Amino acid sequence: MTDSDSLSERPFQISIPDSSIELLQKKLALATFPDELELESDEKRRMYGAPLGDIKRLVERWKTGFDWRKAEKKLNEDLSPMFVRGIEVEGFGVMDVHYVHRKSEREVDAKGRKAVPLLFVHGWPGSVIEVRKILPLLTNPEKEDELSFHVVAPSLPGFGFSEAPRKKGFNLTQYAEVFNKLMLSLGYNEYVTQGGDWGFYITRRMAQLYGHKHVKAWHTNYPGPGAIEPAFGAQPLHYLRHMVTPYTTREKTALERSKWFTTQGMGYNIQQSTQPQTLGYSLSDSPVGLLAWVYEKLVNWTDGYKWNDDEVLEWVSVYWFSRPGPAASLRIYYEVTQANQRVVPFREKPTIPMGWSRFPMELRSFPRTWTQNVGDLVFDSEHPSGGHFAAHEEAERLVDDLQKMFSTVL
Amino acid sequence: MSTEVPFKISIPDTQLELLRKKLDLVTFPDELEDAGSRYGVPLADIKRLVARWKDGFDWRVEEAKLNEEMPQFTRDIEVSDGHGTLNVHYVHKRSEVDGAIPLLFVHGWPGSFIESRKILPLLTESSRDGDFPSFHVVALSLPGFGFSEAPKKSGFTPDYHAEVGHKLMLSLGYNEYVTQGGDWGYVITRKIAMKYGGTHSKAWHTNMSMGFPPLNPLSHPILFLQWMLTPYSEPEKAGFTRWKQFQKEENGYYILQCNKPQTVGYALADSPVGLLGWIYEGLVNWTDEYPWTDDEVLTWISIYLFSRAGPTASFRIYYEAQHSKDSGFISLTGGNPKIPMGVSRFPKDMVVAPMSWIKTTGNLVFAGDHTSVGTNKGGGHFAAYERPEALVEDLRNMFRRGGPAFGVTSKKGGYFDK
Repeated sequence: MTDSDSLSERPFQISIPDSSIELLQKKLALATFPDELELESDEKRRMYGAPLGDIKRLVERWKTGFDWRKAEKKLNEDLSPMFVRGIEVEGFGVMDVHYVHRKSEREVDAKGRKAVPLLFVHGWPGSVIEVRKILPLLTNPEKEDELSFHVVAPSLPGFGFSEAPRKKGFNLTQYAEVFNKLMLSLGYNEYVTQGGDWGFYITRRMAQLYGHKHVKAWHTNYPGPGAIEPAFGAQPLHYLRHMVTPYTTREKTALERSKWFTTQGMGYNIQQSTQPQTLGYSLSDSPVGLLAWVYEKLVNWTDGYKWNDDEVLEWVSVYWFSRPGPAASLRIYYEVTQANQRVVPFREKPTIPMGWSRFPMELRSFPRTWTQNVGDLVFDSEHPSGGHFAAHEEAERLVDDLQKMFSTVL
Repeated sequence: MSTEVPFKISIPDTQLELLRKKLDLVTFPDELEDAGSRYGVPLADIKRLVARWKDGFDWRVEEAKLNEEMPQFTRDIEVSDGHGTLNVHYVHKRSEVDGAIPLLFVHGWPGSFIESRKILPLLTESSRDGDFPSFHVVALSLPGFGFSEAPKKSGFTPDYHAEVGHKLMLSLGYNEYVTQGGDWGYVITRKIAMKYGGTHSKAWHTNMSMGFPPLNPLSHPILFLQWMLTPYSEPEKAGFTRWKQFQKEENGYYILQCNKPQTVGYALADSPVGLLGWIYEGLVNWTDEYPWTDDEVLTWISIYLFSRAGPTASFRIYYEAQHSKDSGFISLTGGNPKIPMGVSRFPKDMVVAPMSWIKTTGNLVFAGDHTSVGTNKGGGHFAAYERPEALVEDLRNMFRRGGPAFGVTSKKGGYFDK
């Protein structure tokens, strides 16, 4: 039963009820901290997890200095205009999807090119906050002859201010369906995508399902573990190339980072992929627990990014105050794993042009020879700095790449 | 000189008050309509348990029962390599039989000393007719668990837990003793057997059956042949299936606690409901449909919630073992303990290795097999708690007159003088 009202676009502003803020403060007032081993440095403490000193300091700020209303107001300004609309997903009914939709300041640039519709897809523990810095650069480039974009940045279903699916089985195919329908509903029959983390997986699925017809090209900062080592049987030519081409120092460092992530950093991933509900009880009930859970990633996954405390708290607040609650966001891991969509098979490679921006502190990285399984790589750039949250850490570099890539392929 | 101090669990009112306040503010997650128990502990279970916790569960009653059933003490134990002195909590109950067999019971995670509560009266029971041997029982809280102090420095691997258990027995005057353990208790008692076996530890029994296939015909020629020729039994095949399922769907907590114990520790230290969910998953999934009462579950969780060091400290054993030379739960390479070994196999444990595999890991003299019992009767991971009579019967059979490990600790072997 579809409700025509819910299917239409409604303007949206983040407006967390006072009662939610009060409850948060009550919980923070009762915060109980764990002990910590006596260790000589933060580096050593970080091996066990988020350092106690950091978490205590952040909680103190959350209680006394951090002003959510001020942050909320700024978010509403920076991410404007925002909307919500109901989108019908096959088998799941109509779901409210929240999104930023900002059109370019110029329909046509100095070179006579039209603004390009771009879908930006975040991941975990990200959110629409990640589009904040690139939004003005994409929609209003400094120079008249730089390519500009109409930007659409949704909250993933189950995240931020979108509804969560109510039934099981909402996997990459459904995320792809939702976002393609969103773009079409906004009048963008042809568009491009940018995504990292789950955004990579989702936009890759979109490229598979809607490539050529709707998605014209896709860009990522995280080519995922689909970039598997070429095996001789499946891809003899790549395998030979891989054996013969020596890795650069940079590639070796990147492989070390990948190794660290797979052996030391996958605990959260496996938990969320297998028993998300069990973890969900903690993250829903304890803001301190949620803070630590997310903060550890914000530090470990970035390239020495200088987070200030309010920035962290704002990021975590989007999870704490999210429409479906933080536990819902974990289920994407479970659903995609159950659907066997984690490993990206070679044969289903999308055939539209693909771009990859490489940042040195990304969690996984692969030699170029490996990524031939992932997509049709036509644009490939390397940066000297930056980590997992590229749009947040290296906004200008990312936008630069998007302008370059889409200027050439479209 | 470390002296023993009698101990009674007595949680301060302020902690009960704080718990009540947190439960009043509890925020539950959502749940999918058709989730069942596949995504983790079902919401209905947690809501029911929380309702009971708020109204009905009486910690003071449970506390009093524990104090009555289990005579408890603390004493300082000096640990080598800079780990300093740790105040260790333990249960100690002696048998009427003077020459009873001193037995150290070592729990695991998410267990505690209360896992010995049911076997305590049975093991210390004595038979005037000499029908079975009797034991003096010591059940410690591992450092970082229950009411023992937690280690302060990094590197407190299971080897140091073994040292603590061993020194505790010596300090109680038990120069010779035997051990029983599962989960981390298996790892720790195996290390005790390796390091102190022969002189002090005289035999070890476990309810966790681990091993690896005797693939090398040169190192285990007879076993290899047996293994090649004997097909796996139905219970053994079921064990493989269970192990695979556990690896695929249930070991998230394990890897997380190995990788980042502190990070998950914030949530579990701050949210009693979170802690309840985290531990309850194991209590249900790893047992053989044990009919937990809500109060039983809440008592078990309370030991973690009210523990001396807080629940986070209990995760670090995973990290330390993972980062030690064992590189994980246990390394079965590097030689076996020589002292007599007993194993009791329970069908619903998450790992149930075939007999041929277990034989590669020690000097097996006794094997109790409960794996062919029908469902809901066999038992699982927490054997001492789920099947106390079965476990005690196995221990009695291992150490009785005429049994394979009779008299390892004294001539009377746990019997009255005739």
